[in-house]
Amino acid sequence: MNCRSEVLEVSVEGRQVDEAMLALLHTILLHRSTGKFHYKKEGTYSIGTVGTQDIDCDFIDFTFVRVSSEELDRVIRKAVGEFKDALSNTGSDGMGQISLEFYQKKKSRWPFSDECIPWEVWSIKVNVVNLANEQERQICREKVGEKLGEKVINIVEVINRHEYLPKMPTQSEVDNVFDTSLKDVQPYLHKITFQITDSLGTSVSTTMRRLIKDTLAL
Amino acid sequence: MAHFDTEYQRLETSYNDSPPGEENLLVHVPEGTKSQWHHIENLDLFFQRIYNMHQKNGFTCMLLGELFELVQLVFVVAFTVFLANCVDYDILFANKFVNHTDSSKVTLPDAFLPVDVCSARIRDNVAVIFILVISGVFWLHRLIKFMYNICCYWEIRSFYNNALKMSMAELPYFTWQEVQARIVEIQKEHQICIHKKELSELDIYHRILRFKNYMVAMVNKSLLPVRSRLPLLGDWVFYTRGLKYNFELIFFWGPGSLFENEWSLKTEYKRGGNRLELADRLSSRILWIGVANLLLCPVILVWQVLYAFFSYTEVIKREPGSLGARCWSLYGRCYLRHFNELDHELMSRLSKGYKASSKYMNCFMSPLLTVVAKNVAFFAGSLLAVLIALTIYDEDVLSVEHVLTSITLLGVCVTVCRSFIPDKHMVFCPEQLLKVILAHIHYMPDHWQGNAHRYETRDEFSQLFQYKAVFILEELLSPVITPFILIFCLRRKSLEIIDFFRNFTVEVVGVGDTCSFAQMDVRQHGHPAWMSAGKTEASIYQQAEDGKTELSLMHFAITNPHWQPPRESTHFISQLKEKVHREAAVGHQGAVADSHAFTSIHSLQSEEPRSLIANLLVGPPPLGSLHLGRDGTLANHVSVGLSDGAPSLRSLSPLSGSLHLRSSYPSSRLHRPDHPSGSASRTMAGSGTDARTVSSGSSAWEGQLTSLVLSEYASTEMSIHAVYIHELHKQQSRGELSRHTWHRQESDESSESAIDDCEAPRNLPRSNTFPFTATPHQEGAALQSSGQRRYGGTTDALSGATRGQRSARVPMGGWVEEIQSGRHHDPVPEEGSEDELPPQIHKVA
Repeated sequence: MNCRSEVLEVSVEGRQVDEAMLALLHTILLHRSTGKFHYKKEGTYSIGTVGTQDIDCDFIDFTFVRVSSEELDRVIRKAVGEFKDALSNTGSDGMGQISLEFYQKKKSRWPFSDECIPWEVWSIKVNVVNLANEQERQICREKVGEKLGEKVINIVEVINRHEYLPKMPTQSEVDNVFDTSLKDVQPYLHKITFQITDSLGTSVSTTMRRLIKDTLAL
Repeated sequence: MAHFDTEYQRLETSYNDSPPGEENLLVHVPEGTKSQWHHIENLDLFFQRIYNMHQKNGFTCMLLGELFELVQLVFVVAFTVFLANCVDYDILFANKFVNHTDSSKVTLPDAFLPVDVCSARIRDNVAVIFILVISGVFWLHRLIKFMYNICCYWEIRSFYNNALKMSMAELPYFTWQEVQARIVEIQKEHQICIHKKELSELDIYHRILRFKNYMVAMVNKSLLPVRSRLPLLGDWVFYTRGLKYNFELIFFWGPGSLFENEWSLKTEYKRGGNRLELADRLSSRILWIGVANLLLCPVILVWQVLYAFFSYTEVIKREPGSLGARCWSLYGRCYLRHFNELDHELMSRLSKGYKASSKYMNCFMSPLLTVVAKNVAFFAGSLLAVLIALTIYDEDVLSVEHVLTSITLLGVCVTVCRSFIPDKHMVFCPEQLLKVILAHIHYMPDHWQGNAHRYETRDEFSQLFQYKAVFILEELLSPVITPFILIFCLRRKSLEIIDFFRNFTVEVVGVGDTCSFAQMDVRQHGHPAWMSAGKTEASIYQQAEDGKTELSLMHFAITNPHWQPPRESTHFISQLKEKVHREAAVGHQGAVADSHAFTSIHSLQSEEPRSLIANLLVGPPPLGSLHLGRDGTLANHVSVGLSDGAPSLRSLSPLSGSLHLRSSYPSSRLHRPDHPSGSASRTMAGSGTDARTVSSGSSAWEGQLTSLVLSEYASTEMSIHAVYIHELHKQQSRGELSRHTWHRQESDESSESAIDDCEAPRNLPRSNTFPFTATPHQEGAALQSSGQRRYGGTTDALSGATRGQRSARVPMGGWVEEIQSGRHHDPVPEEGSEDELPPQIHKVA
């Protein structure tokens, strides 16, 4: 619970799904990434640079800015691709939710694995609509673009609030806060999960885990 | 997708090699994670553990306690099996003779069966194996839990040590309020909760008591099927630990419960759309859990019996009277608990009320039983006397079969009979006792007042305050009854439960989903008959019964003086406090009889005017347990009243009964000149905001003591407010009924007659043979108020209550005006008036 959660909702046409998702996820990650840290002696560090790139969407009248890191883009594209496939597999009325969760790791003592404690979760609820003709598609193209613009402003507003961020780590702890596996950019640790159709309850595994924890903590 | 590269590109090469002016590079210093205590994932558990650790006095005590529990478990099982299988009872009872060569004495080891026989017997007995397996599994579960707890609490221990800077050795010296204050401090630095910069006391309470608040609210709205009307026993309350455990399992944490995790209700339960479907689901879940309970019933039953046997037999042998003693029932604890009241606060409150309560219960002796008991005691006693006399003459009598048994049984019989024969010198004054009880337990159905001498009241009170023996019996029966309650009673309520959780759950930022009653918002959940008329916007369904919202709010504000309530609540609190003080001041004057508080308090001995507080605390003289006026000088101090901090503190505190501490505590420290004058009295006076200056300005020990004293103080203050609120409530509901008589009473303006009118029915000490007659006036009032409580669902009652309020103002008119004029002189603004209370009192006086 000790984490912020933001919910965004969009309705898009089937073919716009991945672009819309990419736009939003990239926008969030743009603000949640830093340049690579270069630690020096005496516990100081300098921050590397980050490039940005404008991306024009094909199916939406929209352009967004993303970090110019191919690796990061690949990771996100993969997740979004899976999400889109899962969505299209369900049938016509696709409803789904993709969430981007920022977390930090906390080292635990031996018997337990490291805890991943989320501090911010962005959930994007997607509603896929079906359109009858080309004219509607054109209108949708514009409208979705406008909507996405609003969402981006939304995101920026949220991020501009001075709220909790993990503290800048020392060299030994940098892996607990930042994802250092990418070589040209360093976003906060994050994971992307998705869920198709607002199915009731959480997944089986989390329920089981909670059950065990609860019995232990009785 | 088209890509457009902006000019802002990453420097591809060699940027980490020092560019020409390396010294100009921006160099950062990591803040690092100095502590591991920022951003804790599960704050609910975290706070709960901190609280537990504090309550159990530190890590070592906890560890040992749990360890011994494990050992005890093994012992209980092993010993039972041993007794059942490895003892030759024939030898023990001397039905069979042992052929010893050397001596004729039978020793204990003779009675034990040899190991191989013993183990063979165990192996052959399926039931024993079954029990052993079950308890083995149970024990392993406990063991794993124990290990897990050690790890968790070790972390909490280091939190205490490193972050809160309290070592385990001195932990018992800190009150919870101090620990909490430190946690609030810590938040500013470590940000354990990421939503807010600052934690409030209420946040912490909400997290620790999230589910308990729900339970309290459900009991308050009589949602849980704990009451039932049985054909023979009448109104019967059945609420055991097993049942409670099942409720919690169903609602809060079991598989498929309403809560997704500790802090949030599942989203589908927050929407009203498919409530019927959800109710169906809930009811089938309850059915399954009920069936599971039924299947496990034998196991639980065996366990309960064994556990009860081993934990209570020793006690009963040591002091047989303990079964006749009483304890607060589980239902009582739920009914009497405020919202946001921690366990230790509740327990200390109830313990303070214990003496008066048991005295009250002992007042009731059935005359019929007394006659029977007297005679049985006579016959049993004569037999016993003869047997004892014979034994004294020749101890061989003892060796005659069953003589020792009969002596024991007769002795028990006489003891039991004697407990039914009332003490000759006892005085029966139930009204006053009930008033004293109310001052501690804070809640009481309306119809008790004025009916304290009736058996119905006693029976209802005994639902809250039951015999220990009944408690144990209920616990033993619980495994059998629980499944049926679940299947037949709770299931029917599933729709109501779903509605309850939907309607009374609010999401609080930084806390999660909590019970909205626990917000203690007078506007949302206030009851117009309980002082919040005009302020509350609650519908009947939303009102908390018995003035729970109002009293809880007062209680929380008093126990946590640093807490900043929302504006509405602040207004309510300050208004109430002001009223109480006004009455206190007026009472101090000793001339006004129509003030509520005064009619409430019996001991208005007008030749020796005392302050309201003194009156409250002294209570009726026959009680004797409250020894305020024992010391003449103290009484004088009291009459000086609120204006002087330390003496009144000293004289007040005997109530709480830890004289030892206070006598070792020089009162001079309290009003040292360098403190803001009479800070203690100001806390008393309700501002309370300066409590910190007291503790921070002093050495550790002194602060320690002060905070202890202050907390005792707070409980006294709360008692006063509770009694006051009840009194006001009573007058409101009575005013509605007997407006005309009231007018008449008041119109002649003679204070003495008013006193007589109000005091006479209650003032008379009644012996237990006193005929039970209540004045119709009282009866009517009680009936009225109880009716209002029961059928509070109608608009009629609502309007009645507001009308009552209006009419109740009529008699108050006189002094309200007077006070207004009094305040007119006083330039101090309302907020500050509490701080400046002592002078104000002087002025009025």
